[in-house]
Amino acid sequence: MRIGIFQRDAETANRLIPFLSCFAALVLSVVPLHVPGLAIATPAFALMAVYHWTVYRPDLLPPAALFVLGVALDLLDGTPYLGLSALAFLAARSFVLVGRRRAVNRPFAFVWAGFLATAAFAIGLEWAMTSAISMSALSPRPFVFQTVVTVAAYPIADYLLAQLQRGLLRRA
Amino acid sequence: MRERSDLFLRINASRMIAQRLAVPFFVVAALLLIVIGKADLIVIERTRVAVSDLMAPILAALASPAASVASGVHHVEGLFSLYDENQRLREDNDRLMHWQTVARRLALENAQLRALTHYQPHGASVEIAAQIIANSGGAFARNVLVDAGARDGVARGQAGMTGEGLIGRVAEVGERTARILLLSDLNSRIPVVVGDAGLHAILAGDNSAEPLLLFLPAGAGVKVGDRVVTGGAEGVFPPDLPVGTVSSVDGDTVRVAPYAELARLDYVRIVDLGLSAFLPRPLVPSR
Repeated sequence: MRIGIFQRDAETANRLIPFLSCFAALVLSVVPLHVPGLAIATPAFALMAVYHWTVYRPDLLPPAALFVLGVALDLLDGTPYLGLSALAFLAARSFVLVGRRRAVNRPFAFVWAGFLATAAFAIGLEWAMTSAISMSALSPRPFVFQTVVTVAAYPIADYLLAQLQRGLLRRA
Repeated sequence: MRERSDLFLRINASRMIAQRLAVPFFVVAALLLIVIGKADLIVIERTRVAVSDLMAPILAALASPAASVASGVHHVEGLFSLYDENQRLREDNDRLMHWQTVARRLALENAQLRALTHYQPHGASVEIAAQIIANSGGAFARNVLVDAGARDGVARGQAGMTGEGLIGRVAEVGERTARILLLSDLNSRIPVVVGDAGLHAILAGDNSAEPLLLFLPAGAGVKVGDRVVTGGAEGVFPPDLPVGTVSSVDGDTVRVAPYAELARLDYVRIVDLGLSAFLPRPLVPSR
């Protein structure tokens, strides 16, 4: 019986892994990385984690979790547009879920292409919303740049998250 | 048995409805937050400051290794350009020797003129050293979080500097952290003085690396290379801090290249002038 309780605890902990890994990615995105080329914008690490889990285990990353993650990111980022990242994450989730069925048993390139579309959609939405709120057409360059570096860095993030998934979610 | 499966189905159905409604519910919540955030409520600022203070130890712990890895990379990069660097430094040295002579002469002249006019110097400025523990990674917010706050004497409106020049203004202050809005941020507006003629203007960020000069007098004749320094119009903000040089003039669009490398910040000095009497002694964290 005791083992059963422990098992359940371990399972609960495992179920938190998608949320926690997204949170870790979010913290990583505000740590000064000092990479000279990434001065305009750092890769959207949190978006990578959100995409990965939404493709493979959307049940473990519900809309409420995305909302909390988005608000936390905006608070840490110090943006004047609190709620924008939450909106972008939720939009990315809905976007992924539409095409998710077709991603089953496809090669990685397919998942990567899906991420390109998702990142362009989510970051484009952020650009449109920021421009609308600040009532000026912002230069799209930083946003395009962020999309490019985010998509380019995705395979590494996917590999690391897949390791996590394999190692810890097997029993969940 | 049948009843039980009915109940199960009903629970399942209500669960599905809740799941369906979750996305619209949180989308509306996010939109509401954006509208509320736009109103600039004090509650939101307090929450943001509290979150920064709470996360400060974690961020500080992560920032240090990131900085040492970066300095290691920088070191290796430096090895490859030793010759060029040496050449450049020799040239710099020649030029600076010349400037030293000029500065000595001016200092002497200044002292004599001050003696003549019985000049009263400003109070000593407060300087607080701080490490950057987070920067906004997004594509539109340009700010940095530093590990010094109200307990170290940081106050809203003070200037953030590096050795090269101004980086921005302190926008939010927590107990142990403060957020500096960089010159390049969309919401950054800093009164400056341009060129030898001392033209007053506003330096406004537009999310690009080189902020804009606004409200220059018409036909002011600003040229590329003109020096830009802070104007002391705004009580707390110290005047005459180096900001940058005019980098391009295209009709009414005048851009300024900041002296400070905004993309590569490690440590900053937070400078205050004028309020020094009301602030505690500056604490310089030992590292």
